[in-house]
Parts: sequence; structure tokens; C-alpha cells
Amino acid sequence: MAERTFVCRTEEIKVGMPRIAKIRQLSIGVFRIGDCFYALLNICPHRGAPLCEGTQCGTTAPVSRAEFIYHRENEIIRCAWHGWEFDIKSGEALAAPGVKARTFPVTVEDGAVYVTA
Amino acid sequence: MQSLIVDCDCHNYWSSATVLEPYLTGVWKDMFVNGERTGPVGSYPHAHRAWFHPQGFSRRDIRPEKEDDNYRFMKEKHLDRYDIGIAILTGDEPMEASTLANPYYASALVSAYNDYQIEQWLSKDDRFMGSIVIAPQDPRLAAAEIRRLGAHPRMVQVLASHGSVKPYGDPFYHPIYEACAEVGLPFAIHLGGQGGINWNAIAPAPTTFFWETHAILHMPALAHLASMIAHGVFEKWPALYFVLIECGVAWVPSVLWRLDADYKALRKETPWLKMLPSEYCRRNIRFSTQPLERPDNLKHLWGILEAMDGENTLLFASDYPHWDYDDANTLHIPPAWKSKVLGLNALEVYKRIPRSRAAHAA
Repeated sequence: MAERTFVCRTEEIKVGMPRIAKIRQLSIGVFRIGDCFYALLNICPHRGAPLCEGTQCGTTAPVSRAEFIYHRENEIIRCAWHGWEFDIKSGEALAAPGVKARTFPVTVEDGAVYVTA
Repeated sequence: MQSLIVDCDCHNYWSSATVLEPYLTGVWKDMFVNGERTGPVGSYPHAHRAWFHPQGFSRRDIRPEKEDDNYRFMKEKHLDRYDIGIAILTGDEPMEASTLANPYYASALVSAYNDYQIEQWLSKDDRFMGSIVIAPQDPRLAAAEIRRLGAHPRMVQVLASHGSVKPYGDPFYHPIYEACAEVGLPFAIHLGGQGGINWNAIAPAPTTFFWETHAILHMPALAHLASMIAHGVFEKWPALYFVLIECGVAWVPSVLWRLDADYKALRKETPWLKMLPSEYCRRNIRFSTQPLERPDNLKHLWGILEAMDGENTLLFASDYPHWDYDDANTLHIPPAWKSKVLGLNALEVYKRIPRSRAAHAA
């Protein structure tokens, strides 16, 4: 049964510095993108690596010619081991259709961040 | 029951190559301290390859700051966590000395590294075994280094980069194998050493992007395998093991099929051979697993591994702490092969690993 757990104050999570929290038995990374917060299970669906200890970054936009448009800055987590890219908001792997990191709902109340897991 | 795990490719990093300063003397120390380097202060002198890794080689969850962190993180995140019984240290940058045109400086650098490895790493953990790193561009100096350290009980192999100036079977390199045979150590090559004098890592010309290149960077290993067999290295030194580290695995059977077919037709070119290329390979050549190819249907891989007798020719390797690390718990080989591939096969090749370790682990 999922329950809501206090993680930390909003100001404790900086862009690019996710909070890795132990919530019950789960290691969960809580990310800030602008003023919004998102949570991902800290286990990469590729090979089980600590996904959220990778780099929060942007990526190149899909294009039809040799043009390099860096976009979605801070919306991507690049896994700590093998570098697979995931959309922090949806958990979807960018280059492996159908592969998805597990996401958890995040709520913010009075400057406090909660994860429901 | 947990059987012994031997990691045949465990990279002992430094935070700064200045750790080698105490192990260098004379003009080599002068050049190392005052000379030009590839990259910033603290980098190791070598010719750089044509491709830069777009996000760095190391896993992002391993960020050593102080020199001591390098061992501490390895112990915590790798050795203890995966119950590694033996880790064969393969250094990292030191083998890149093979790219330097000056063989005397290259040889001084690898000697300094070997002494540093013995003093600063082997002493830290009795799970560690070492590699005598050589600069193969001068085989006589390389042979001297092998003889200098060959009696050390914890040095279990001679190691060079797979980037080289010639295919390794060439008689030019035979002084190295003579020395290996004399001290009773295998000769291993590890992916690396592209650039500088080893300019032709990708046969037609350098490819463009890092991932594109990395996926086919084992290309020189095909040539080394063919060359070692064709030049009769394993007739001259029948007990010599040749280990290919991080050079891929799934290509091996197809190349052996081609070598056998062509040898059968044109045997007269190499009359010193007495067996089929695939038979020399089976007897004398071993392959480390990482990064083990991973097709969607694992049966496709396992069929290929059976064709090369993978149960007996594969050696587990993690490549800690690199970005394409394989962990021992999830190695995707046939389950019945695990005790051999994860450890027992390595004991056949690396005879200096005490047998008592296997008994202890079991």
C-alpha cells in the first residue's frame, strides 16, 4: 500500500543535485526541474545501476540533418554506469523504446517535499 | 554455495599521475615533471586517440577526490559488494605509454607504474594480483621489464594495449613471448593505446563518433588473434596463454571459421603450423567477457558462445569502474557455466593465483 513520506524541504533539492532518499526499503531520487519535483526509483531498468547518481542534464533534439540542438536542459537523467538517458518526468528511456524507469508521485506542501511510494 | 569470483579486468585508478613521481629518476623524472602532457597537470604522458568519450570513462557514482578514495571506493562498491575473490589489476592510463614514439621514455613510465602498483596497490588488499605493464614498441626493453619483475609472486600476467605498431604475432615481438615463457606468465592485451604511433585502430581510417568507434574498436584484436596463430607463436611457446581483455567475444567463432577455411587451402604459406587455427585458439587463447554482447534473444548469444567453447575459454571481467561495467551477479551466460567462467577458468590461466583461494571461496 503506497503511503506519503516526507523527504526534505524544497530548498534542500537543487537542480542537478537530486536528493537520494531511503523510503521504506526503496532508494528513490527526487529531482528538481525549475520549481517542480519528480521522483524516480534509484535502480536503472537497464542493468540495475544507481540511476539517480548519474548526471542531470539536457540532450540533443531529434533532427533530420547534422544540427546539434541542446534542449530539455535538466530534464534528463543519464545513468551513473552505462549512460542511458531517461526523461525524469516520465521515466522513459530516450533510446530504448518501451524501457521505463519507475516513477513516483511527488507533492509539495508548505515548502515540504513528499513522495508517495 | 558461492564459488570463487576472479575479476580479470579491475582498473586501479589514480587521481593524479603525479603519484608516479617517486618512482621515476633522472631524465625521466625531469621529463615527467617538466615536459608537455596530454591534458592538464596531473595527466599521464601519452598520445591521445582521435575520439573523446562524450561523458567521461568512469561511472558517475564513483568520484574519488583524494588518492585513498580510489581504493576505498573500489573496495566498497566493487570488491566487497560483489564478493570478488581475486581482482587482477590492469591499471588504466599506464598501458597508453604504447602510443609514445620514444620507447625509452615509454619504458621508464611503465616501469614506474609497475613499481607504484606493487607498493601502493598490491600491499593494500590480498585479493589483488598485478599485471606487468609493458611498452611493446621496444620488445627488448619490454622483455627486460618482464624479467625484472617476473618472479614477483603476485604478478600474474604481462599486459600491453591492443593498439600496437604491428600485429602481435610478428617476429618483431617474439622477445616478449620468450620472456613471458621464461617467467611463466600469460601475455594479455587490453583495449586501448589508440593514437600516436598506433595510428590504425580502425582499419580503413578513423571513424567519427565515440559510440560508433567503441563498438568496433576490437578490430585490431582480430588481427592480433590471426597473427599470433599464423606466425606460430603457440608452436614456439606451446604453454603460452594469450588473453584478450575487453576486445569483445561474439566475433570470435566467425573469424575462426574463416581462418580454418583459408588455412586448409593455403597451409603451405605457414608450414610451421601443426594444428588448425581454431585448435590453437582453443588451447592458447582466452577472452574476457566484458562488455559481453547482449542481443534481445540471449539464445543467439549463447549459440555463439558454445561455438567457441565459452564454458572453457571465457574469463569474467568487470572493467570496474568504467562506464560499460558488467556486474558479476547478472552476467548473462548459461547458468551451468558460471563457476568456470566466473573463476575456475582464470585459475587455469593465472597459475600464480593460489589454489587455496578457490577452496576457501567454496
